[in-house]
Amino acid sequence: MLHELERLLDGLGGWLIRADLGLGLLLVVGISMSLSHVFALFANRLAARQIIWRLVIDALVLAAAFLLTSSIDMVLLNLYGSNPVHPSAFVDGIASCLLPACFYVAVAAPYVGETMGLVIWVLMHLNVITFVHVRFDLPWDQALLLTTPGYLLAVLLVALLFRQSWQRGYAMLASELGQP
Amino acid sequence: MKGAGRLYPWSQRFNLKLLLLVLAIGLGINVVGVGHLLLAVRSALSPADLQLLLHWIGLLLLVLIPAAGIYSLVSEFAFWEGWLEGLPAPSTLFDHTPAVAASHRCYLVYLDGIHQLERDHPPRVSAFLELLEQQLAAETLLVRGLETYTVMPVALAEDAGSAWFWRRLFALQEQHPNGLVQLLAAVLVQANNVIKVGISSDRRYGPILNYELALKISLRLAELGFRPGGGSRIVLTGYSGGAEMAMGVADYLRRITQAPVSIISFCGVFSGNQVLDQLSGITTIVGSKDPVAAFGRIAYPGRSPLLPLSNWNKALSAGRIQRDCIDGMNHNGNSGPFSEPFRLRVIKAILAALALPVAAPERTGC
Repeated sequence: MLHELERLLDGLGGWLIRADLGLGLLLVVGISMSLSHVFALFANRLAARQIIWRLVIDALVLAAAFLLTSSIDMVLLNLYGSNPVHPSAFVDGIASCLLPACFYVAVAAPYVGETMGLVIWVLMHLNVITFVHVRFDLPWDQALLLTTPGYLLAVLLVALLFRQSWQRGYAMLASELGQP
Repeated sequence: MKGAGRLYPWSQRFNLKLLLLVLAIGLGINVVGVGHLLLAVRSALSPADLQLLLHWIGLLLLVLIPAAGIYSLVSEFAFWEGWLEGLPAPSTLFDHTPAVAASHRCYLVYLDGIHQLERDHPPRVSAFLELLEQQLAAETLLVRGLETYTVMPVALAEDAGSAWFWRRLFALQEQHPNGLVQLLAAVLVQANNVIKVGISSDRRYGPILNYELALKISLRLAELGFRPGGGSRIVLTGYSGGAEMAMGVADYLRRITQAPVSIISFCGVFSGNQVLDQLSGITTIVGSKDPVAAFGRIAYPGRSPLLPLSNWNKALSAGRIQRDCIDGMNHNGNSGPFSEPFRLRVIKAILAALALPVAAPERTGC
């Protein structure tokens, strides 16, 4: 039993070393997205220390969300694609596709921010489709079909995380105003 | 800020025609100058280096524009957090004892355009407001001098974080011998107010800024003797970007003051994103030759007929918006709403809008 656990942990360690670039990039993307959201935390009237903690936790959650969506892409490719996929190489490749999201912090800007966010999301998906098409020799339509479920999940997770925080802020505002 | 008084005559002359003239001259100089510059740069840099330089300049702009917007948000949210003193609770704003003297039945609150730098309005705007005030009914009080683009009770040149920057910019605007530098400084000062208009229209940040501005207006109304439930109504009149701020604060003001609130905009640039369905009425006075107001319809998708479910389009289809067009009126300058040929027509349109029947309290929820 212990040997089995040791073997599993060794495997995980080896994988983490091989995928360090991809994981590092995912973390940068998580931090950038978390920072873009900092005013939602201000809207909730959190203390400075709470805001820092939330930023760190949100960054980790977002990085984990992108890792999860990448793994969905990977599973779908393994099931329906023709070429074998190595996890660490895949995470590295996918993380490079998420490079535009390193600038996601700019989405915090008023008025232009949401448009920038939309452009970044579209760019990320186009990058992933192109990567899958080139790296795994899949036709464009198949690449689109296999990567879209993971992408939609990522959009949903990020939207839920951000929306929840803003809603709490607006609820606080409404409570100050009272009933109309 | 004593020096700011000298800014007004210059601000008055700052109109679209002047801007276009300066831009055309600048473009001409650039066409000649850039050719020479390119020759000099090409002798020093290879095409690949030039391309790299252009990429870096583009990237720098992509960083600087959002950074300016984000910096502008900081003071609003610091105020909301309570880190800067002065954010009152709505329940403490008004004196709830019955008024000794009869208060006014209508409070007409003027929100100025993006040229506003401090509490006092430019001379041409002041003259317009004096004329308007003379023609108002005795029961209507004109509320003027509100700093529309700051939530804090300090002028830009006294802002804790950026006073050094604004003072330097004001000095350039006033004293620099080069007209182009003066113009650029003026554009940068007004860009700050444009960012505030952007914040107000942003569905994420708008509620906080608009609420803070509604509190500021409520404080002013309380000073002037307004009492909730006293039967008075509030009319917000906004010029240019002030129209966006009016639309933003209107619903919050209605909730805080528990009074019917309506809006009269002239030459308004606004998003139409805000909650408008509980307002007593909206009147937009537009000039047939106003390119800035026309640009607002493009800049804000919420006003496009392609989005019939936007707040603006819903209010439009419900017949809550009146539109009054003044032939030949521009956005500013000698054909603007504050110019002699047009100001009386604008005032007449405002008075006509004030005379419109107010929606019943049941409908407004007040």
